[in-house]
Amino acid sequence: SASSAGGSRNSILVSHRQKGNPLLKHIRNVRWAFADVVCDYLLGQNACALYLSLRYHLLHPDYLYFRIRELQKNFKLRVVLCHVDVEDVVKPLLEITKTALLHDCTLLCAWSLEECGRYLETIKVYENKPADLIQGQMDMDYLSRLNHALTAVRHVNKTDVVTLGSTFGSLSNIMDASMEDLARCPGIGERKVKRLYDTFHEPFKRAV
Amino acid sequence: MVRFHEHIISDLMEDPSGGLVVLSAGLGLPKLISSLLTLHDPSQGSVLILNASSSQKNSIDINSHFSSITSDLPAHHRLSLYTSGGIFFITARILIVDLLTQRLPTTSVAGIILLNAHSISDTSTEAFIVRILRSSNRSLYVRAFSDRPHAMVSGFAKAERTLKCLFLRKLHLWPRFQVYVSQDLEKDPPEVIDIRVPMSPHMIGIQKAVIEVMDACLKEMRKTNKVDVEDLTVENGLFKSFDEIVRRQLDPIWHTLGKRTKQLVSDLKTLRKLLDYLSRYDAVTYLKYLDSLRASESFRSVWIFAESSYKIFEYAKKRVYHFGRSDSGKSIGMSTATSARKRKLEERKNGDDSSASANSVVVLQEILEEPPKWKVLRDILVEIQEERQKQAVSGEELIAGCDEDLNGIILVACKDERSCMQLQDCITKGHHKVMHEEWEKYLLSKVELQALPKSSKKKPKAPKGFGILDGVIPSVSGQKAEVSSISKQENDALLAAAYEISKQANKDTGVEHSGASEEHGKGRKNRRKKKKPIIGKTDQESETSVQSKTSPSKHKDKVNEHLSISGNVHGNSTESEYLDRVVLRKHNQEPENTSQLPSVHFHALESEQNILDVLQPSVIIVYHPDMAFVREIEIYKSENPSKRLKVYFLFYEDSTEIRKFEASVRRENGAFESLIRQKSLMMIPVSQDEQLLSIGSSVEPQSVTAQNLITRKAGGKKEAEKEMQIIVDMREFMSSLPNVLHQKGMHIIPVTLEVGDYILSPLICVERKSIQDLFGSFSSGRLYHQVEMMSRYYRIPVLLIEFSQDKSFSFQSASEIGDDVTPNSIISKLSLLVLHFPRLRIVWSRSLHATAEIFTMLKANQDEPDEAKAIRVGVPSEDGIIENDVRAENFNTSAVEFLRRLPGVTDSNYRSIMDGCKSLAELALLPIEKLADLMGGQKAAKTLRDFLDAKYPTLL
Repeated sequence: SASSAGGSRNSILVSHRQKGNPLLKHIRNVRWAFADVVCDYLLGQNACALYLSLRYHLLHPDYLYFRIRELQKNFKLRVVLCHVDVEDVVKPLLEITKTALLHDCTLLCAWSLEECGRYLETIKVYENKPADLIQGQMDMDYLSRLNHALTAVRHVNKTDVVTLGSTFGSLSNIMDASMEDLARCPGIGERKVKRLYDTFHEPFKRAV
Repeated sequence: MVRFHEHIISDLMEDPSGGLVVLSAGLGLPKLISSLLTLHDPSQGSVLILNASSSQKNSIDINSHFSSITSDLPAHHRLSLYTSGGIFFITARILIVDLLTQRLPTTSVAGIILLNAHSISDTSTEAFIVRILRSSNRSLYVRAFSDRPHAMVSGFAKAERTLKCLFLRKLHLWPRFQVYVSQDLEKDPPEVIDIRVPMSPHMIGIQKAVIEVMDACLKEMRKTNKVDVEDLTVENGLFKSFDEIVRRQLDPIWHTLGKRTKQLVSDLKTLRKLLDYLSRYDAVTYLKYLDSLRASESFRSVWIFAESSYKIFEYAKKRVYHFGRSDSGKSIGMSTATSARKRKLEERKNGDDSSASANSVVVLQEILEEPPKWKVLRDILVEIQEERQKQAVSGEELIAGCDEDLNGIILVACKDERSCMQLQDCITKGHHKVMHEEWEKYLLSKVELQALPKSSKKKPKAPKGFGILDGVIPSVSGQKAEVSSISKQENDALLAAAYEISKQANKDTGVEHSGASEEHGKGRKNRRKKKKPIIGKTDQESETSVQSKTSPSKHKDKVNEHLSISGNVHGNSTESEYLDRVVLRKHNQEPENTSQLPSVHFHALESEQNILDVLQPSVIIVYHPDMAFVREIEIYKSENPSKRLKVYFLFYEDSTEIRKFEASVRRENGAFESLIRQKSLMMIPVSQDEQLLSIGSSVEPQSVTAQNLITRKAGGKKEAEKEMQIIVDMREFMSSLPNVLHQKGMHIIPVTLEVGDYILSPLICVERKSIQDLFGSFSSGRLYHQVEMMSRYYRIPVLLIEFSQDKSFSFQSASEIGDDVTPNSIISKLSLLVLHFPRLRIVWSRSLHATAEIFTMLKANQDEPDEAKAIRVGVPSEDGIIENDVRAENFNTSAVEFLRRLPGVTDSNYRSIMDGCKSLAELALLPIEKLADLMGGQKAAKTLRDFLDAKYPTLL
């Protein structure tokens, strides 16, 4: 599948199996093209999706399992896009949940073809997007960023950040501070000193 | 205690396993329970009171004898309380955890008192508690109470289901019309004077219009065929519970509804408020509310454009001011309102003459219709005072307490705090003043709402020397007059009037500051302020919200503090302060003797405090009729048969107020009739204990106690298939899922978890999110963090998205999806989440019960989770290395985390930074060129370097 993806990197590649699926009408924000892909929708180098409507599943309960088996282990993200189009969902959804979970697939439910289409579009569009959108609103000013960085060290609180900042003057000075200097800061006890010092001075990768 | 309370108690005591008591609202439930509790004997064990609201706690436990068991108390402390045989308030959450962790010996509990039984369902934690307690302690009693009968009939066979889930057999019904009750209460009824106050013509007009619109909306609703037609009546629409009726029917299909239907539902709510406020607010406040309503809803509302709605606004306006246009010289004189105050017409004409350029004049005339009840209230008070003066021996000073009946407390009961304060002002300052103040506030808020420059533009044009409120604006520019509509001119006129007021206000304050005559008043005000904190304190302790009106000083600072002058309420600690205050009050009272009105206490019904026993009033004026309060008066009277009690009811004639009152009585009676019917048809098994046993034995291999005796390992080895265990975070006991899992026969182990909510197996960790939670925790970033932690420590991290059974199973309807990929949509957020955590498994569950099934399925071929391990997960050990962290052995995790949070560092370049430099300390010293190499760009490198070297801002 990697070879066929090469040509049109910015579009969703759709399996020929999906021909006639009304869902295709709702993929409008991203280009798409039919291609020989093993999944239903190829959403990126590492991401793919299988489409399944609950109604179809009720008729062919084994379908999903065989489709997932075909995928093999080629993708990091394997989405099962489930179109909820029946009233009585509990039992079929339980089966699909089980199959998806046991075979390393991520289940997404959608209640309309529009919604199905939007999931496919979004995953394609956001392929390389950083996660800051869901990491909480972080203020971009200096103090908030400094807080954010320093509180990555466990038990360091906002007061400590103020103490450290006003004592050492800049972040690079804080990172370069000695144990003694850190220990001299009020409110920063022995354990915090060690934790801070280790964070800055222990190598990123431990020698194994 | 009233006699029928004794009946209730003796009936209830007949069945040793307890029962469910449903009684009419206002029949003294707290008193009933406190007298029931006096029968408790500590040797029987402890009594736990569940589900009490804080106001109920206060009125049950008047002398604060009982303590509350909360999670703040350490475990051993709780144990000693449980075994002490005392009476405790307890929250369901802490009780269930203590039960599941065996911290509470079930035999030490004599019984449970459960309040607000109407809120119980078979999945609620209270039912869970009763089930566990009952299964190991057969002699336990459960006495459940509710004084909201109409809530007991909502849904199918609710009373029966409530009885079943509490393992009770007896349902005791005590409606107001029950023989004993009515005998007791009607033996010596208070003297009641029912006053029907006619509404003003405009009020009638508004009411009629609102009902018309409401009716139209209901008709529209009927057309949708989504709601049971029988429920769609105007009478039902008057109650808050109408929303519940409609929502209950519509929630399961809410996502399929069109915008119009949804709008209708919210419109009906708005209309109900409009009716309610019509009798509660004065004319100006009502208009203000309408204005803000129009400003906030203008486009979507259906009702606002209805024909009759126009009338609502028109009449509301007419109650406040008259706006007319008159050619110069012609008098307006078209206002018909009787209370209209045509001020300084002469002067206005003069003004017209002087402004020669004006050929057309718009006139704003204040009318300020006051609520008819105000006058009646005043009349009543005057009448009372006259009566008292007649009875009193002339010349003799009336000293409080010498003649109770004569000088007894007068209590005015209003619905809300706001009305209390306004009425108080009315009595102290006079109603004209109050209306004027509201009017001024209204105009000033108009100015604030409108663009301020507008009013400043008017500045030079504003005619001088007019009355404060007779803002008359000659429209000078002819071009402008043509363009502007009437409403524009009207608006301008209002603004001009507002401007006049603010100018006047400034002048006034100036006068006040310089004027020597005001000095006295100012001094007094300061003294009051000094007193304030003390008064506030005593009030908080005594928990009364009583207001005195006697003090003549201005209520400029009308904060929430209320002067309590009753005296018999205060805690002994503040007695001296109290005496101090009485002296102060008397001092103030002396100049007041000229006043014709007796002193009055105000009580807001919304505050839900038991005021009658505390104040012992001899006259009660029910300003806003309320069914429960009427019953409270009846109880109060029958408890004090010797006391002379006079009750005035103030109703607006032919108003929805009176209809609502009558309907609430009817509705309660209807609820009881239905309960009586249900009771006769009820199918309660003779011995539910059998049933309880069968639940226990069929699903679980042993009864709960026996089961818990087995150590985890032994149980796991022997009966791994049968006995499933789930580790549940303490915080999850707010929800019903643990209960449902327990019903399914799972063994619940409550612990405090650092990572995840439910641990199903050594591999599977579940974070549970209800729909609301999901949206909230996406935007706060909490979910991202939680998923990150789960993925770090567990092989199969699961996000459970749980919908609720009675709500629709979807995020949004197709029409709400929109055309583009937008960052705020839930679809975008979920997509981003799965892109960043491809290992995350998402489980979509229709309901609690579906979740329980899914959990069973997920656990099927897995080992049991290890409690000790689960607790340690994510909790750092002493040396900073987090246990179980797959990366911890190879990476300095906190350094990596720190690095990734620095600006300029991204998902794509942090690895190469780690390759290129050893530690953060080293990174701090790298020159920008080297950074650019590592980070793959000058820009990112500069961002990082700048951040590292930025001077920390010094704090002042």
